[in-house]
Amino acid sequence: MDSENIRSIKELPPEENMQPGTAACAGCGGLLTLRYCLKALGENIVIVNAAGCFTLLTIYPFSPFRNSWLYTAMACAPAGAQGVRDALDILIKKGKLDPEENLKVVVLAGDGSAYDMALSSTSGAIYRNLDFYYICYDNEAYGNTGFQHSGASPFGSRTGTTPPGEKVPVGSQLQKKNLFDIWNSHKPPYLATVSPAYPVDLMNKFKKAEQFKGPKLFISHIPCPPGWGFDPSQSVKLAKLSVETGLWPLKESIHGEVEHTFVPKKFKPVEEYLQAQERFSHLFKPERQEDALKSIQEMVDEYWRKNTLLP
Amino acid sequence: MLRLRFHGRGGQGAKVASRVLGSAAFLDGYNAQDFPLYGAERRGAPITAFTRISRDDIMERGLVSQPDVVVVMDETLLLDPQSSPLSGLKKGGVVFVNTPRTPFETKEGYGIEDHVITLDITKVSLDMIGQPVLSSLAAAVAAKVAGIGEKALRDALKKELSAIISEKDLLDRNIEAAIYCYNSVEPISIETTEKVREKENIISIPFETALVSSPSILSRGNTPLRRTGNWRIFRPVWDYDACTKCMTCVARCPEGCIRLNEEGYPFADYENCKGCLICAEECPVGAISKVRESHSQTKEGDQ
Ligand SMILES: Cc1ncc(C[n+]2csc(CCOP(=O)(O)OP(=O)(O)O)c2C)c(N)n1
Ligand code: SF4
Ligand code: SF4
Ligand code: SF4
Repeated sequence: MDSENIRSIKELPPEENMQPGTAACAGCGGLLTLRYCLKALGENIVIVNAAGCFTLLTIYPFSPFRNSWLYTAMACAPAGAQGVRDALDILIKKGKLDPEENLKVVVLAGDGSAYDMALSSTSGAIYRNLDFYYICYDNEAYGNTGFQHSGASPFGSRTGTTPPGEKVPVGSQLQKKNLFDIWNSHKPPYLATVSPAYPVDLMNKFKKAEQFKGPKLFISHIPCPPGWGFDPSQSVKLAKLSVETGLWPLKESIHGEVEHTFVPKKFKPVEEYLQAQERFSHLFKPERQEDALKSIQEMVDEYWRKNTLLP
Repeated sequence: MLRLRFHGRGGQGAKVASRVLGSAAFLDGYNAQDFPLYGAERRGAPITAFTRISRDDIMERGLVSQPDVVVVMDETLLLDPQSSPLSGLKKGGVVFVNTPRTPFETKEGYGIEDHVITLDITKVSLDMIGQPVLSSLAAAVAAKVAGIGEKALRDALKKELSAIISEKDLLDRNIEAAIYCYNSVEPISIETTEKVREKENIISIPFETALVSSPSILSRGNTPLRRTGNWRIFRPVWDYDACTKCMTCVARCPEGCIRLNEEGYPFADYENCKGCLICAEECPVGAISKVRESHSQTKEGDQ
């Protein structure tokens, strides 16, 4: 990829580094994110994939990728990446691999892996300044095994393990972990949030990350049609809404310094986003759960107020 | 004992269909067993579920490899070697196919020798429920074939569906559509022999050492061979008079299966377009329309 910034969708590089025909659900927002990431990263990469929906992209004897791919358990993709990175470095040092043929090491993990099971191995990798890319596709639950609650599931959402009922009508009572801040406290060279609805922002962030050696971390908020409960055709619309309502701030951090890369001119009410999904339907019927709706809006407003981007 | 096997695609409701049928049989005084096969399912991927129904105790366990009745909820699965719905079907068995075609056309088209029943339950569900969710309808057809009474079916639908559908109105529409399907299928008596249909080629897989049988994939980018295009219920169709070549659809397709023709107009590779219709939704000038997939066996119009 050349160093000029991309300005519009028309300028996305035409190369496809991932082929269609995978087992991902129709309209998967994660697949769309991955397609853009691979456009940005190019062909010369190794993907180390923690168990999740995307370990099913490659099913023997098929692979959608043009690059190498390795499958690890949920808790240890960053450790796997360390092994691959070390192996490449040693081969180069011994003269067995031309430095020209060096590969970028990329971790691909769902939120269950990133926010929960692999948090410590990720912290370790960032701490050791491992030279790698980390992409977390955050569908806000353990998608592959039936959409169970994860550390990324938002307050008020229905998941496989937090069904709203008489005792707990709100669904999940826990707040989504702030993985961005957890990672950022390590002061990695590059950290960003991205969205499949904003491919230009996404591509330019990868381009910027390229100049840094060390951990380059990305969290993408991705709509999941079966888990969130919406028609697949609405995937991009929902990804856009999560940004336009202020729920998913697009930002980046360089050595710990945070900047927002996109601030909606006028924030849409979060209800517009919530109402479009089955997993929040219990907040609206049989009757509106005003307190819950208010507290979700309040949480969003509070974030932007704190970041002095709202009065 | 009657052994039934449902073949659907993730999201169509094969698992729920087998469950409703099992409940209906139970409420009608039979012993019953139902369960799905869990694998690498995704919305759209082939799914299998099973029901056993008997007056006697059911001591048999495990997958139904030699069914008396096969319910094919998605016609394209008949051509899918991964799914092979007719595999192991017993002689004299019944095949239900969800298709707008007649039983005769279906038999001819797919070379099926067995007793074929057809009904376009996708159309019924779109017309009567408003969504292509086929669980209750497939259960109803299967209940009729298996000789289960209408009252037991109604009660089972109510019991099983109210656990997953909270909207009363949607529940009622499901039941109404299911009973419509139940009454659209002629009663039939099934008499199978223990012999499996002649056309069957059962492949037995020999034991291999881990070095041979472990999954190392040495090819690159070969998933297009999986032809996930047959997951579609609707296909996107382009109107080049309206298209401004803005490239939005090309960029927004999660599959990356929209290409450009010689004049620079986009077209979908229908072999792998899953029919999510994000392209149609995102096109700023509405140049892409949504057309019900007819699953024609010819490939005309596939370009
Ligand atoms: C240690 C461990 N526990 C459980 C599993 C079973 N498992 C496979 S994928 C998966 C869900 C992963 O969820 P997430 O990381 O959010 O990714 P997604 O499925 O959403 O893509 C689980 C629980 C596993 N592979 N390893
Ligand atoms: S379950 Fe969700 S995240 Fe997983 S493949 Fe399907 S749409 Fe994508
Ligand atoms: S419907 Fe459109 S966006 Fe979806 S897979 Fe097909 S071509 Fe791509
Ligand atoms: S989005 Fe619409 S106008 Fe733009 S290239 Fe596609 S079909 Fe043409």
